[in-house]
Amino acid sequence: MNEITPDKFEIRDYLRLDLMPHFMCPGCGHGIALRALLWAVHELGIDKDNLAIVSGIGCSGRVGAYIDANTYHVTHGRPLAFATGLKLARPDLKVIVITGDGDCLAIGGNHLIHACRRNLDITCLMLNNEVYGMTGGQVSPTTAETRLTTTTPAGNSEPAFDACKLAEAAGAGLVGREVTMQTPALRNLIKEGLAYEGFSFLEVMSDCTEIYGRKNDLGDSAEMVLAQKSDMRPEAYTNSAEQPFRPNRLVTGILARNDRPEYGDTYRRQAAALCGEGDDAA
Amino acid sequence: MTVILQNLHGNHACAMGAIAAGCRFFAGYPITPSSEIAERMSRELPLVGGTFVQMEDEIASIAAVLGASAGGIKSMTATSGPGFSLKQENIGLAAAAEIPCVIANVMRGGPSTGTPTRPAQGDIMQARWGSHGDRPVIALAPASVKEVYDQTIRAFNLSERYRMPVVLLFDQVISHLLEPIELADMASLELVDRPWATGDSAGFEPYASTETGVPPMPRPGDGYRTHTTGLTHGEDGFPTQDPEVVTRATQRLLDKVENHRADIESYECHDTEDAEVLIVAYGISARAARAAVRRARGQGIAAGLFRPITIWPFPEEALKAAASKAKAILVPEMNAGQLVLEIERIVGHDLPVAGLNRIDGQAINPDEILQRIKELAAK
Amino acid sequence: MSNLEIRFGGSGGQGLILSGRLLFQAFVMDGKHAAQSQSYEPTSRGGFCNADLVVSGGEVDYPLVTAIDYLVLLDQIGVAPSAAMIRPGALVLSDSRLVPEPPKGDFTLYQFPFTDEAIALGNHRAANVVALGALIALSDICDRETAARAVGAGTPKAFLDLNLAALQRGFDMADDLSADLTDNAAMR
Repeated sequence: MNEITPDKFEIRDYLRLDLMPHFMCPGCGHGIALRALLWAVHELGIDKDNLAIVSGIGCSGRVGAYIDANTYHVTHGRPLAFATGLKLARPDLKVIVITGDGDCLAIGGNHLIHACRRNLDITCLMLNNEVYGMTGGQVSPTTAETRLTTTTPAGNSEPAFDACKLAEAAGAGLVGREVTMQTPALRNLIKEGLAYEGFSFLEVMSDCTEIYGRKNDLGDSAEMVLAQKSDMRPEAYTNSAEQPFRPNRLVTGILARNDRPEYGDTYRRQAAALCGEGDDAA
Repeated sequence: MTVILQNLHGNHACAMGAIAAGCRFFAGYPITPSSEIAERMSRELPLVGGTFVQMEDEIASIAAVLGASAGGIKSMTATSGPGFSLKQENIGLAAAAEIPCVIANVMRGGPSTGTPTRPAQGDIMQARWGSHGDRPVIALAPASVKEVYDQTIRAFNLSERYRMPVVLLFDQVISHLLEPIELADMASLELVDRPWATGDSAGFEPYASTETGVPPMPRPGDGYRTHTTGLTHGEDGFPTQDPEVVTRATQRLLDKVENHRADIESYECHDTEDAEVLIVAYGISARAARAAVRRARGQGIAAGLFRPITIWPFPEEALKAAASKAKAILVPEMNAGQLVLEIERIVGHDLPVAGLNRIDGQAINPDEILQRIKELAAK
Repeated sequence: MSNLEIRFGGSGGQGLILSGRLLFQAFVMDGKHAAQSQSYEPTSRGGFCNADLVVSGGEVDYPLVTAIDYLVLLDQIGVAPSAAMIRPGALVLSDSRLVPEPPKGDFTLYQFPFTDEAIALGNHRAANVVALGALIALSDICDRETAARAVGAGTPKAFLDLNLAALQRGFDMADDLSADLTDNAAMR
């Protein structure tokens, strides 16, 4: 393996190359998100030995295994809860959760809002491809209204979650969103999240070309990625059956900051005070 | 050895046993009748450099425990029936990924919300089969406050030694029972740490078998950078569906318990040498059985008590030995008949096995058992 | 010594568990083998609540009560769960105001104004300790000095004076009753 130098990012330095080829479909945006993440890790000089990646179940959940770090692939919806224990037990580790829209917002939704509220120093990267891809293309909490999926044959009639608004309302320290097309911007956003001392929630607009894209005639990967910033993307909550494709500009970048004490730090200070050692710290 | 006398109730004994065993992380969710374990841990852990966190739900609690243990810290959670049900999937993950942890389940009446403040022993089979798939299981059933303390320590030791979840099963009576107990001083306790990976990280295989069948665990930060997954994985830790590797991996998990039964099994025999009526009872029911056996002996009836402390794996050979003179076996349980099925399986059809069951949220009392002993002895 | 079985029965929130614990502490101080258990309904306040003790000459086999020798009742709701378990010849003490219909049977029943006396001492919540004092004075389950030491060890500072006064009030009430009983016997 090459020696890692701070100036040049070489993604191979951060991948488990013997697992290649990876299992992601052609055109899947998750690979771009992975590159942006590792680029950010590189530029921040994070030591792979102290890097822990926790992921759940689904396409997003399988991304972590390709990273040459301490990787944990846990139960569906629970990576944030697992990561909470890991980070509290090992504050010295850099803990990143890679999750998906179903993993994070549906089966794991409760853990997301409480992770935001708790503000433990974890970066949560939610890869939003609007669908349950691994299981064949069922509707997810972020599927836009009217979209066709294998469980919405007449078009989705449920409004989609705006995950960033949810995270902000629940108190996340840092909230941001970016599309995969803007890879350097995505890298920068992830760097902000990783450097933030508290809970950072980052939504990555990914794309599922093979299943979701085909089902809805959204074109090839390039077209889907371009559409993410176009006027054709429906905005969460504001769509209706009558007016399903209301023009909007997807808001990206850092969307919210809520600076407050980091949970682990507060716990350790309180514990020290209970032990009678905290007089100086206070 | 200095001995410290303390008055503790069962839940507090569980917490203090965990602290003595080296537990430094607890994640839990409030549930009757186990909440005092969490409450006590929230007070004790900060004093010993540990961490307590009350999670948002039962599933999050066990998931956080697995995360902390994966980080290298001895960890536990505590719950009761409804929470035990919710934790099952992650107990399976702990078994599959070989992450040590202890789960205390203070049994209350079920099904569903059941009778939250009343004792029961209805989770015996759930402890064995509650999580899907074939997996190794260790479950311990203490019968006194002192034993809750001791078996909690032992639960951690077994969990660490075999890198797997260990379940403590006791009930509302013992959880809220106050008894004076003697705590051994820390220096005399035998504490076990999981085998840690040491040496070269190049080519390290995190799930390669060893002489004991227990692979050494890589500690994050030590440079091994391994993969941990609930997907069935090969020796390298990465998922596979290769039938041979899958068989080998699953069999090794099961063998960790099968090949170490002598170390894992524990039980107590009272007057079993010549017992014609053998009681097999655990937990609070065993306390009633012991009183009943004493009285039966006082009346000249050859009764005896076999008390499994390790419920899973069940101490089969020890039971067969204890039943060698028996003409009948009686299994009193606060359920509709669970462990009795295992007893029937072990002793075969030559020996009549009867249940004595209560599903009304009341503990079985010595009089009921004595009555049945007399009936069985008269046959 | 055969097993002694003692129950404090009443309503959740009356301090029954504390009474049980204090008496347990006294037994432990006396070097006796004891186990104290509790049963209650899933409400912190208002449901029935029992604090039970089993005292044994040796290690306690079965820690739950099955035939009660000494029963203290502080609320009517505590009567039903216990009535069938009272051993013939048992001693039953009940609160004269809060237990309007005490159990009847082949046992000795004394009704005391535990709660009223506690109110007179300044806090109705000390009724549990007044009752504990009366029970100890009317039985030989443990001596008064040990009980006072147990109360001292098991009571938070803020309530120490109150609880010691309540314990003494219980002793006094029992002594007054004993004196009356002696007088009545003498007159007969």
